[in-house]
Amino acid sequence: MNKIDFYEKVMSARKESKRAAVATIIRTKGSIPRETGAKMIIYSDGDIDGTIGGGCGEGEVIEKSFAVIERGIPMQHQVDLTQGLFYEDGGICGGIMDVFIEPIQ
Amino acid sequence: MMSEELFKRLTKAVNEHNDAVLITITNLPEISFIGAKIILYKDGTLYDESKMPQDFQQKIIENCLPLLEQKKTKTIDVVYRNTHIECYVEIFPVPPHLIVAGAGHVSEPVAEVGKMLGFYVTVIDDRKEFANTKKFPYADEVVCSSYIDFFRNVPITSETYILLLTRGHKFDVVSLQELLKREEMLDVEERTVYIGMIGSRRRISGVFEQLKDEFTDHNFINIYSPVGLDVGAQTPVEIAISILAEILKVKNQASGSSLKEKISSYSKLIFRERSRK
Repeated sequence: MNKIDFYEKVMSARKESKRAAVATIIRTKGSIPRETGAKMIIYSDGDIDGTIGGGCGEGEVIEKSFAVIERGIPMQHQVDLTQGLFYEDGGICGGIMDVFIEPIQ
Repeated sequence: MMSEELFKRLTKAVNEHNDAVLITITNLPEISFIGAKIILYKDGTLYDESKMPQDFQQKIIENCLPLLEQKKTKTIDVVYRNTHIECYVEIFPVPPHLIVAGAGHVSEPVAEVGKMLGFYVTVIDDRKEFANTKKFPYADEVVCSSYIDFFRNVPITSETYILLLTRGHKFDVVSLQELLKREEMLDVEERTVYIGMIGSRRRISGVFEQLKDEFTDHNFINIYSPVGLDVGAQTPVEIAISILAEILKVKNQASGSSLKEKISSYSKLIFRERSRK
């Protein structure tokens, strides 16, 4: 899926007045699953489109996205994957990423 | 937040092969501007719906134009009237073009996976029954034309990836000849980086024996024949994966070998806990 295809999904969700947010990795440090620019859509019913790397990091971002959808105000969230080897789902990565989350409406 | 008009303009830029960046303000003290978006074009013009002050727009151009030229997506800090403004600068690159010549069994999964990988996919065949969108629902474009006419006119750049998978080797060869003729007129960096041609080793040796006399100014380094990485592919889908893996390897300038080869011995690995700030 290229960027235009991604935003096409965002626009069609907007047209259907779906409640959703877009999360984008805007900065990374160390070893992280995806690079700056990776994006996903989070819908208010919990459905997602795209991925910013999966695992608990993505789980945290999904949680924060619900708050963004609720309040209608963008925010940043920092995902820290530098903790130990056994950080919940295995902690295969060891970096930090900043994620910008914005409502689509 | 992305508006209808912003999206329309970005799509237009990409379709017209015009690089653009989308700038999103991701942090500044005045929170009502967080999320504001601006498009910057290669010629230095802006599309700004939030009507920022002119001297701020100027700052944006100065800071973001170099990133557009380098095609680099990045978050930067813009200082404007002693205020730090964090801007996420996202490149909207023109998608790479994958041309699949021949609409046979292998071409179907190639077009589908190619699309999933973000390529703009064109399928071409000279037979109407094969070159149709029903057979290739995922292709961006299905062309019915003679191979020679198509390859004589199709735009080629260093972002064009070409696969010659036609039903007969002679069609692959005429297509290749047409491409090589055009490439010989281009500087090496303007040529395509990947032309894959299916075929057995024996057939290929026959082809190149002929081509090397015909094209003395072409080093053939962008030709991949037989196509694909050696993963033992047999079925059309397996072959498609092997071919696209090879294209990714070339596009991303990677080795194509197993990542585990970077590790010499598992038993000698040591895990180091990162110290936290």
